[in-house]
Amino acid sequence: MYAPDVAFGTIDDLETALREAEYLPDRGLATALFLSLSLEKPLLLEGEAGVGKTESAKALARALPARLIRLQCYEGLDVSHAVYEWNYPRQLLHIRAAQEGTVSEDELFGPEFLIRRPLLEAIDSDEQVVLLIDEVDRADEEFEAFLLEILSDFQITIPELGTIKARRRPAVVLTSNRTRELHDALKRRALFHWIGHPSLEREVEIVRLRVPGIPERLAAEAAAFVRGLRALDLAKPPGVAETIDWAQALGALGREEIDAEVVEQTLGSVLKYREDIEAVRDETLTGLIEEARATASR
Amino acid sequence: MPGAAIVRHVVTFGRVLREVGIEVGPGRAADAVRGLGAVDLTRQEDVYFTLRQTLVSRHDELELFDRAFVAWFLRGPVAPLVREKQRREQVEKVAGGALVPGDDGRERPDGAPLELGASAHELLREKDFAEMSAEEFERARRLLAVLARTRPRRTSRRRTADPRGDRLDMRRLIRQSLRCGGDPVDQAWKARKTVPRKLVVLCDVSGSMDAYARALLLFLHALVGTGQGVEAFGFGTRLTRVTPDLATRDPEAALAKANAIAVDWGSGTRIGASLKEFNDLYGRRALSRGAVIVVVSDGWEREDNELVAREMAKLARAAYAVVWVNPLKGDPNYQPLAGGMRAALPFVDRFLPGHNIASFEELAGVLEGIDRRHAA
Repeated sequence: MYAPDVAFGTIDDLETALREAEYLPDRGLATALFLSLSLEKPLLLEGEAGVGKTESAKALARALPARLIRLQCYEGLDVSHAVYEWNYPRQLLHIRAAQEGTVSEDELFGPEFLIRRPLLEAIDSDEQVVLLIDEVDRADEEFEAFLLEILSDFQITIPELGTIKARRRPAVVLTSNRTRELHDALKRRALFHWIGHPSLEREVEIVRLRVPGIPERLAAEAAAFVRGLRALDLAKPPGVAETIDWAQALGALGREEIDAEVVEQTLGSVLKYREDIEAVRDETLTGLIEEARATASR
Repeated sequence: MPGAAIVRHVVTFGRVLREVGIEVGPGRAADAVRGLGAVDLTRQEDVYFTLRQTLVSRHDELELFDRAFVAWFLRGPVAPLVREKQRREQVEKVAGGALVPGDDGRERPDGAPLELGASAHELLREKDFAEMSAEEFERARRLLAVLARTRPRRTSRRRTADPRGDRLDMRRLIRQSLRCGGDPVDQAWKARKTVPRKLVVLCDVSGSMDAYARALLLFLHALVGTGQGVEAFGFGTRLTRVTPDLATRDPEAALAKANAIAVDWGSGTRIGASLKEFNDLYGRRALSRGAVIVVVSDGWEREDNELVAREMAKLARAAYAVVWVNPLKGDPNYQPLAGGMRAALPFVDRFLPGHNIASFEELAGVLEGIDRRHAA
């Protein structure tokens, strides 16, 4: 049995390493990632879109450091796209080239004809790996059952080749947008953490970290404004990702502060639905801007 | 090795959680103990997150967990926790009155299939649910169960072996061709299979729908029984998800539960507010995307017709198709004059009656062959 390298002795150590990797987790997320590493259990992250679920896995890979292998899930995702596939053109060529002799099945289904997809790559790796299984709720249930098998034994069986067992267990992060409830058996295998929107202070910190050179006041106003938007009744409340995008846009325009004009121009990078943009026009917008400016100057 | 005190704490806390309705298995408890062994126990925050992340696996359990944590570890004032047991008793009490008039709620022991003369059958099909006797209603229930088996389907992206398929199945082809020295004599094909399309039913259970709600709930129960991807909601003054309650084998018990949850049974309807709640809570999580949505209501909005229009527009944009079933439409003289109904109609793809079995047959037919919104 493989014994884990203790990469981080305490939650504080991990938090520091994540900060250095340009990611600011709150204490809960840092605890979740820490536990996932020390208990060697997959971590299931849920939360609204844009709160940094995917980003946290990438940051963990940078902080360890480890190789990041990402599997983006979609409906109909199957073994040939997630685990492995045989290289049929090469197999055919091989049969043709050996026209005179006979080709044995063993030869044809050997490692050199195998195309390795993310899950096999993560299991069959000598380096430390962070395996990100993104939006697992989009894959269908049959795939979930298959995933369960891999995540409990960390091994993959290829009928033609035999069983491949992980020499180093990858750190596994699963994300879900809760478009459907995941199977209980899968949840039992994993630690669970719900990521909420960050506090105002943390969001300002995140913006300043991710948009280098942004004026402090602008960062604070942008974060406060987006926070105000979240309190409204919108079809798609903006996430941290939107705050960062927007702050970048504002910074690129050379702004020091926000005002009605620039907000009107750039609102599209915060709100992605026409009805949401219409809902915050005029008075609502003026009110939000005033409020954000007041909050930022405190 | 974690101290015995930690183990005792976790085990006892596990019992507290179980009491509030969070199931804690031995595996999870073991994770919690191991986790606590790895973090600094003097930091309350770290202890909190460690326990939460190891013992809870659903977002909707977080609030219960927090209450239990405060009560147990912080010795805070214990909020009255609704226990699963008490709730169940309440449900049974409320649902005590027989749902089907004169029916004792049991299946007929012989399970006799429907053997009706054509005319009797025809009569039952056309009879308004509101005017049925207990025995007729029981027969209707069986017909509805048959109807519910037709579900709208969509093409899956997954391909399976199919001799009439449209793509070569390379893996099988290569293997088979080995027998013939590499020549693909037998061709292996695969094709996309079809899977049931998501189906979401929003059912008005308010007073004005009372006479029909029983039949609708039976139909819903049969629908939920057809497998994955069916979601059912009841609404009156507010929205309640009834899928889990309908997912039992016994329709009468399921009806009793769904009935009890819709505490506003018999009071006014807030269609707009209920649709909004659905859009905000479930639509945002993409439940409505690509789904066929069936709204069952007479369209009597008590409050805000404009809200009905706005939320229907949202719903229709995300959905594959929207079907509105209105029992009042069974009356040949019916005009959609109710404000909510008029506001909703522009966003409805198919408008159907739902007052008798014949109309449910029509609904089943529509569901089976429904086309994408605006494509028809």
